Amino acid sequence: MHRTAVALALLSSLAGAQSPGKKTPSVTLAPVAPVSVTRGQAGEVSLHFRVAPGFHINSNTPKSEFLIPTALKMDAPTDIAITKLSYPAGKDMSFPFAPDEPLNVYSGDFTITMLIRPLHTVMPSKYAIRGELKYQACDNAACYPPKKLPLDFEVKVLKGATASGKNPAQSPHAHR
Amino acid sequence: MKRNPAALFFVAAVVAAMLFVGFHAARRAGAGGPDSLDPTGKPAPDFTLESLEGKSVTLSAYRGQAVLLNFWATWCGPCKIEMPWFVELQKEYGPQGLEIVGVAMDDASKEEIQKFAKEMGVNYTILLGKEAVGQQYGGVDVLPTTYFIDRDGKIVSREFGLQSRSLFVDNIKKALGQGHPVQAQK
Repeated sequence: MHRTAVALALLSSLAGAQSPGKKTPSVTLAPVAPVSVTRGQAGEVSLHFRVAPGFHINSNTPKSEFLIPTALKMDAPTDIAITKLSYPAGKDMSFPFAPDEPLNVYSGDFTITMLIRPLHTVMPSKYAIRGELKYQACDNAACYPPKKLPLDFEVKVLKGATASGKNPAQSPHAHR
Repeated sequence: MKRNPAALFFVAAVVAAMLFVGFHAARRAGAGGPDSLDPTGKPAPDFTLESLEGKSVTLSAYRGQAVLLNFWATWCGPCKIEMPWFVELQKEYGPQGLEIVGVAMDDASKEEIQKFAKEMGVNYTILLGKEAVGQQYGGVDVLPTTYFIDRDGKIVSREFGLQSRSLFVDNIKKALGQGHPVQAQK
């Protein structure tokens, strides 16, 4: 029965496989390391992305107004602020389709960092932070429509030392 | 070792079902990309789109002329390389009955596309693309994608990505040489 199960699993993977040799652009996110942040303080989170070999995507600051910048849009729970979204500098690269006009791109691995600051009023717990990376990829001879990579990771908010004079029950919006 | 016939039948049925589903999933995944079925010899799907000048343009109205149908976008670097070629080719082969039609598969506004086309010195028809038209042509997942259509409205050739100018010339000559030249009714 065990051999049958293995054979089924193998056949299942073959049946679902795409036709070989078809290259499609993709950007993937490496697993995000566990993040713990004390409420009222800021913690840095790094997101490590990888562009599939043979492709490049525009940096966050491409050189032409017509190019689509790589952009990360985050969606955090109320009272967990995300600040200082920091994109790496792109690399100026020339391509066969524009040898005299280098483009500012990301290829291979790149990292976007951000600061996460839970307000004092946030209950200590684990929170899901969601977002999406918008990018538009090209290779040496063609470009591909813009794509969105959904992402999420977990932040553990720690209680830390109680700040004197603060009322935890106070409306979080009072701080804004 | 003794085999249970019922178990063997079950395994065979599961395998057949998985192969069926996998085959169809792979076919669907291939639609629109370089693995799509070759459309050569088939009629070019007809559509009507708005031009940069605000006119409604229908592809079949070019019947009798050869059409170079180019799907492009303002954010597509390789597409920019082809545009000056198309300007020259329209001048050179226009009198013989070639009509170059660019379909902008862009989220950019009409004004931005107009600005881009002006910067590129475009002298041929630019239409504002729609997803539905892209779907008619298999999804247009790669830009540029160029179709060469003969005078009878049949697809002579399709090219994905940036190709050499000489390949375009060869395909244009092929498209001009096929079908029946009649007066276009634009």
